[in-house]
Amino acid sequence: MIAMRIDTKERTALLAVVLGSSLVLAQEKPPSGLTSQEIAHGYEAPTRWPTYSGDYTGQRHTPLTQITPANAHRLSAQWTFQTGIIPRRGYEGTPLVVDGVMYLTGPFNTAWAVDARTGRAFWRYRRDLPNDLTYGAVSPVNRGMGLLGNRLFLPTADAHLVALDTASGNVVWDTALADYKIGYAATAAPLVVKDKVIVGISGGDFPTRGFLDAYDPETGKRIWRFYTVPGPGEAGSDTWPGADVMARGGGATWVTGAYDPELNLIYWGTGNPNPLYYGEDRKGTNLYTASIIAIDADTGTLQWYHQFTPHDTHDWDSNHVPVLAELPIAGQQRKVVMVANRNGFFYVFDRATGKLLVGKPFSDTTWARELDANGHPIVVNDGSKGCLPDQWGSTNHMPPSYDPARRLFFVTVRETCAAYLPVKEEIVPGRISNSGTVRRDADRSYGVLRAIDPTNVERKWEFKYPTPTMAGTMSTASGVVFAGDNEGNFMAFDAATGKNLWFYPTGAPIWGAAAMSYMLDGRQYVVIGSGTNVTAFALPPQ
Amino acid sequence: MHIRAFICAFLLVCLFAIGADAQDGPNPGQQNAGAIASGGTLYRARCAECHGADAKGVAGHDLTRLWTSGATDERVFQTIRNGVPNTIMPSSTAPDGELRALIAYLRSLNGPAAPEPLRGNAENGERVFAANCSSCHAINGLGGRLGPDLSRIAQSRAQLTEAIRSPASAIASGYQTVTVVTRDGERVTGTLKGEDAFSVQLMDTSQRLRAYMKPGLKSFVREPGSLMPEYGVNRVSESDLDDLIRYLSTFRPAAGRPRREP
Repeated sequence: MIAMRIDTKERTALLAVVLGSSLVLAQEKPPSGLTSQEIAHGYEAPTRWPTYSGDYTGQRHTPLTQITPANAHRLSAQWTFQTGIIPRRGYEGTPLVVDGVMYLTGPFNTAWAVDARTGRAFWRYRRDLPNDLTYGAVSPVNRGMGLLGNRLFLPTADAHLVALDTASGNVVWDTALADYKIGYAATAAPLVVKDKVIVGISGGDFPTRGFLDAYDPETGKRIWRFYTVPGPGEAGSDTWPGADVMARGGGATWVTGAYDPELNLIYWGTGNPNPLYYGEDRKGTNLYTASIIAIDADTGTLQWYHQFTPHDTHDWDSNHVPVLAELPIAGQQRKVVMVANRNGFFYVFDRATGKLLVGKPFSDTTWARELDANGHPIVVNDGSKGCLPDQWGSTNHMPPSYDPARRLFFVTVRETCAAYLPVKEEIVPGRISNSGTVRRDADRSYGVLRAIDPTNVERKWEFKYPTPTMAGTMSTASGVVFAGDNEGNFMAFDAATGKNLWFYPTGAPIWGAAAMSYMLDGRQYVVIGSGTNVTAFALPPQ
Repeated sequence: MHIRAFICAFLLVCLFAIGADAQDGPNPGQQNAGAIASGGTLYRARCAECHGADAKGVAGHDLTRLWTSGATDERVFQTIRNGVPNTIMPSSTAPDGELRALIAYLRSLNGPAAPEPLRGNAENGERVFAANCSSCHAINGLGGRLGPDLSRIAQSRAQLTEAIRSPASAIASGYQTVTVVTRDGERVTGTLKGEDAFSVQLMDTSQRLRAYMKPGLKSFVREPGSLMPEYGVNRVSESDLDDLIRYLSTFRPAAGRPRREP
């Protein structure tokens, strides 16, 4: 990897020296790159951010401690990388960093390797996308890549998975996940688990059938697929009215999941049933849409699931980063998976069995205020009695973070107000099938960063924003929470109190992205994407 | 100060900035109920988020008065196809047929295309404008900045009447009334230009741009009304109102004369 930071002139000089000492450089093996064990160790090497959420837990909580509540006010921008590509919504990706090189993606399937000290590019990749994209045209977004060995794994707007060489950006293999022409696309950063690349699919707003796949990182060959909507006669098919509806039932898997190596289980969220708002032609609870699924990493078989929003008609995908932790609940230390859901409820499950341990609202949702004995919402307002959270939900796909030492879950909450207007519409392959729309009341909506105790969903502190925001959070072991807002501020907060410590106006909404962090040359960098830019911040050099 | 006035004026700027070369041709989907239904589906999926379920505008503009304001099918087509630069309105790669269906649907939401009969005296309207409006509103670069620029105002008589008689009924984004009081006691009222968690930007009533950090304020209040006074019949008679609306209508871009910005 070091050779990548040497320019051509220096490389020529180095070659001459090396040849002069009768070593043959060409026979030197390239570095073998990141191993799956190193990914499993997550933050162990402080110079790395090896996977979308930082590690398999999805906590997005870095052990780095250079930046503290006492010095965060001294943070300043160190470099800005210009993607040059205007996004439809915002910069949603999380870069990866290994051996001083940052790998990042942009909209429309662009990718770069840049110097993590300066933001200077080594190479650029851009995919030639077809001009008849479906979901990929609606949302040409990309949230990042997976990395194993010397290969990056990039999901594409035309529903392919592409492996790129880390040193050059050259395509190693290119595998079609699904037919983009009927509505599929791929946007979520893949999760590398042992010898497999786990990748989700997007396009549940189109008449598609969602799935979660595993691929061989060497060949790009598919190893297993789990359909999030069952086939005829399969378990769960009795929650749908018929095979034709199931075949386009939605349940996309467009946000990266978490993984427990001990249980060998992958936790992943599933999206809305299709069509979005009109549910009369898909009566039933519509498994396994709007759910969390626990999948055996070796076989792709379902171990347990929980459906958060049965028969959803509000576009409340359950595509969230599941967060793994250990929590004291009812006097017992439990290994749990936590989800702050778009429907306004916060859930804690035993992650081995799927038993629901905690389920309470973390927002001011008026849809439901409690769950029944099965963990399903007791709906008190279908929308006819005033506001519900809008179709973007009480939170969305922006990653939350979790501080295990302070036992605080940090989540961006959208307190919103909207009325739903379903309409029966013809379902056409390749065409988005909203079947209705939403009337939002912007005057009664706002955003808030909230810290909650996950054992009882008590609100410990919060910080309000003028408008609903789509920025994620990252926290640090030193007690700092990084967050963003729709007004474009990138901010640091005291994790214990919620006091704002610092803010930097980036000039564009921070939308879907959350910060990541790494050490380099003894300095802690914190990176966020916003608009067309990715910016790295650090304290002044010592 | 009227939201619809501002919306239509801005949309016309956008529409006329694009699509100069295309001739207005027949819209094959125009009279087709199937196309309207199909266009409605497309609208709800792709447009309603910003333009509203009823197309009367949310973050995006009111689309229910496009044709009565002088737009044509082709210009609307080109706007959808190309998007609007420097706004969140994206370009579209959808097939032409889908865009035509969308236009058929939008047309079905628009009122009768026949222009309203003009009445009133524009010359006197200009005098009424100079006496009552120009300190806050500009036309073609002349006038104040506290209220929206009216150079391209393109609204119905009823809308303009409401905007003049009852300006608080709908206030355009960027023109809400706010009052701040600083820690040293200065009270400033103006129109809200921007706000985030830490700061506020406004134009005060002397039309100066001012910005404050929130920790430096004693209070920051959103006022319910408009800074624009209500112009009842005691201030602007019905006859003067006719003349004023006639004067404002003289700036409406004529249909069939698309322009491309340099």
